[in-house]
Amino acid sequence: MAQSRSFLGAAFSRAGGRPLGALLLCAALTTFGLAASLANLAAQLPPSLWLNALATPNIDDMRQVLVHYAFLPRSVVSLLCGAALGLAGAVLQQVLRNPLASPETVGVSAGAYLALALATLTVPSLLAFGREWVALAGAFAALAAVLALSWHKGLSPLSVVLAGLVVSLYAGAIGATLVVLKHEWLAGLFIWGAGSLGQQDWVTTLWLLPRLGAAALAIGLMTRPLTLLGLEDEGARSLGVPLGIYRSAGLGMAVALIAFVVAAVGVIGFVGLAAAALARIGGARRLGQRLVMAPLLGSAMLWAADQAAQLATGPQGDLLPTGAITALLGAPLLLWLLPRLSLGTELPLLAAERLPRIRRPGILLAAIGLALLLLLVFALFCGPGPDGWSFAVGDQLQPLLSWRWPRVLAALSAGAMLALAGLMMQRLTGNPMASPEVLGISAGAALGMVVAMFSTVDPSRPAQTAAAAIGAFATLLAVLAIGRRAAYAPERLLLAGVSLTALFDALILLLTATGDPRAMLLINWLTGSTYGVDQGSAVLTASIALCLLLTAPLFVRWLDMLPLGTPALRSLGVDVASARLLVLLMVAVLTAASTLIVGPLTFIGLMAPHLARCLGLVRALQQAIGALLAGALIMVLADWIGRTLIFPRQIPAGLVATLIGGPVLMALLRRR
Amino acid sequence: MPVTRSGTTERGRITRRAALGLFALPFSSIQPAAATSRPPRIVCLDDGLAETLLMLGVRPAAIADRKVWQEWVVEPALPPEVADVGTLLEPNLEFLQQLKPDIILGTPYLDGIKPLLERVAPVTTIGIYTDNGHPYRNAVEATRKLAGLVGRQAEGEALIEATETSLAKVGQELAPFAARPLYVVSFMDSRNVRVYGRMSLFQDVFDRIGIRNAWTAGTNYWGFSTVGIDGLATADDARLAYLEPLPAGAGGTLTESSVWNAMPFVRNRSIMRLPPVLMFGALPAAARFARVLAEAMTAHG
Repeated sequence: MAQSRSFLGAAFSRAGGRPLGALLLCAALTTFGLAASLANLAAQLPPSLWLNALATPNIDDMRQVLVHYAFLPRSVVSLLCGAALGLAGAVLQQVLRNPLASPETVGVSAGAYLALALATLTVPSLLAFGREWVALAGAFAALAAVLALSWHKGLSPLSVVLAGLVVSLYAGAIGATLVVLKHEWLAGLFIWGAGSLGQQDWVTTLWLLPRLGAAALAIGLMTRPLTLLGLEDEGARSLGVPLGIYRSAGLGMAVALIAFVVAAVGVIGFVGLAAAALARIGGARRLGQRLVMAPLLGSAMLWAADQAAQLATGPQGDLLPTGAITALLGAPLLLWLLPRLSLGTELPLLAAERLPRIRRPGILLAAIGLALLLLLVFALFCGPGPDGWSFAVGDQLQPLLSWRWPRVLAALSAGAMLALAGLMMQRLTGNPMASPEVLGISAGAALGMVVAMFSTVDPSRPAQTAAAAIGAFATLLAVLAIGRRAAYAPERLLLAGVSLTALFDALILLLTATGDPRAMLLINWLTGSTYGVDQGSAVLTASIALCLLLTAPLFVRWLDMLPLGTPALRSLGVDVASARLLVLLMVAVLTAASTLIVGPLTFIGLMAPHLARCLGLVRALQQAIGALLAGALIMVLADWIGRTLIFPRQIPAGLVATLIGGPVLMALLRRR
Repeated sequence: MPVTRSGTTERGRITRRAALGLFALPFSSIQPAAATSRPPRIVCLDDGLAETLLMLGVRPAAIADRKVWQEWVVEPALPPEVADVGTLLEPNLEFLQQLKPDIILGTPYLDGIKPLLERVAPVTTIGIYTDNGHPYRNAVEATRKLAGLVGRQAEGEALIEATETSLAKVGQELAPFAARPLYVVSFMDSRNVRVYGRMSLFQDVFDRIGIRNAWTAGTNYWGFSTVGIDGLATADDARLAYLEPLPAGAGGTLTESSVWNAMPFVRNRSIMRLPPVLMFGALPAAARFARVLAEAMTAHG
């Protein structure tokens, strides 16, 4: 925690005591919001009737009804939710001592959303007890997971954000499974999930007011103790403040604010992060100032964004969900913030850790290899049919095999490639939470696919593949361009990846929220189905994998040394920047090739290297082979389970890998 | 959510509909033809084509997403022998292979997986929702094609004929209601609806039974547009018919928001609940839509 104080103070230091920048920004946003509001209002109703509509709307005049029951509550809700998110962001940043903490980056919004979606689709009766309780349960579960995952790194800013991303991805995977199994209600869930602020009465407003008010009041009363949380633990303790209690209380109130907002309007992306960060950059140095400025900025931002969205789509347009739009705007903002934040230098923990070390790794690797072989036999020969389970032999075998081997081979190759990519990322960054998913390359591939799908009616598979590859490489170039300025410093790269992932997610959400039937095709691919893999693409993927894996030994020396950290490497005469660049390029190619097969949503890249390390494989080469085998094993297993569990329906392999891998990963990370 | 004003009128209407059971008689002529010679084994990957096959008296060996038939298509009833091959977009290929079909039927929507399906059996693609925007005309063509495929040309022509006749009949019955335009919607959530318009099967039915669609604005390729409820406030005298099923989480009730309650069709109680009709269907769905609409409108008065 030695750096935490420095980023709080030094990173945003400005002369003078007043948050002038923040006030100016707030005024500018408010002016825009007001102008857009008036324009929207004028488009609906002549000014002579405004007062009427405001106070006593004539129920016979639909225009007045819409202004009174749709336009006005929507404006109020946008102001309320923006303020709540801004406040929650400021408190989270203070309590976690993390300039990147926000409702999205710590996974709380995703948790609340998933809980509500789960309840809606499976036990709607639960919602009768109150949406807030369901949302709260999900939000706290997500927060608990994030804290548990990042605890061993002392809740350092980067590890919390990465854990938040992992938890959000996991929540997203569960949500996607629901959609795959119950796709009839896809469109409705997406409209809400994308953060639609549309209102049709004052019910939501009146529901939000007391709840948000109570949480905000509690936070206001805690301002002094919360201020002390920004100090060193020892310093605060010597003042006799019970840190733990206030920290928990602050977190609880922030999470409650977020859960209420998600329960009312869905996920509103990035407002919390942006408002709190801009308040700080805008000169609100004391916590008291930030607790005022962040909600004000959040309100103004969401109001302006929502009014702009209505200007674009016409009054009360729901089809450009405001939450997705703010996420779209927020991601570039995060990229802009990156160089302005001082996150401290992350220590190369991998090298410092004491790990169990196995004496005869050969035997262990052989055992994993044998397990993989055994699984391959099962995956190829064993499966259910119209007449129940059977072990295929004789005449039956040939036709069944012709369906099974391409999928198995593709899953195998993708798993191995992802595992290697993950291993390289983790060795490169010295961060156990790093993985190719986090680089944003997977999301980039997904976006390429989306563009192909929505720009032509029926794109062929080669066209889809090409589009995904272009997306992946464009993202890689973007990440590298951003990273170049920081000499490929790992934490900057990861955060750039996080931002890009969020950006793509928002775009994909916007496209799917239109309810276009093609969205279902997209979901199938995003969730990592090996269904469409034919013999040609399986062989192609396998060849790519083989070539890449054969070049891996060239990297071994670097991978052994990279965790030592930049100064040590320099003294050994290594050209750090170009070593990193080469490793990154390799990671990008591996990720693109495997994402095309199993989609952007797997934890293989994150999980397989961990498994190998926990088994005692420490040196780069051993760990690489172990991770490759483990990654391939998990992916083949996931594909087999996906094909057989709910036969004849299928669960995409990428999702199964995520669903079984997530808990394993969390257990692995917690143990250390 | 408590039952709304519309919900209570709803309950009253169901009993009245039961009393009007006689009404269904004219349509009993459109029954599935009886199966005779051994037809080809068909796997049908589109519900619109599947319902047409059933009306021709041909039972498909398997369809996709079998379990949602009862929720979204309802009739013609699906015989229990019809197998489920999994989801529409990812029918289980191993399963398909073991069913040994003679032919696989699908729509252009499945072109992405056509090469895979063709390894199992020849694939015939019949589009009902196409660029020409006339699903009804396409459904007539599709019926002829299907009838030719299974050697039941006579049944095919009879189905086309019977559908035309029943639409004409509904047109006469609904003549007194033709003055007021009608919205047909499916609820997406409590605030947003899919409203059906140009290029939809329902629009084609409207044109044949002489009902004016209140939704005259644009629609997408599949003939609907997703709008907020307040987007339906343009026509003052419009009625509204909404299709079941209601979305998950709505608890089977409609919204009770202020905007909804201020909508002209809510205030003058011109809302009708329709049982499920396949919105992307073929001739049987068109006939069913006309029939349930006629029942609802005459019962509603």
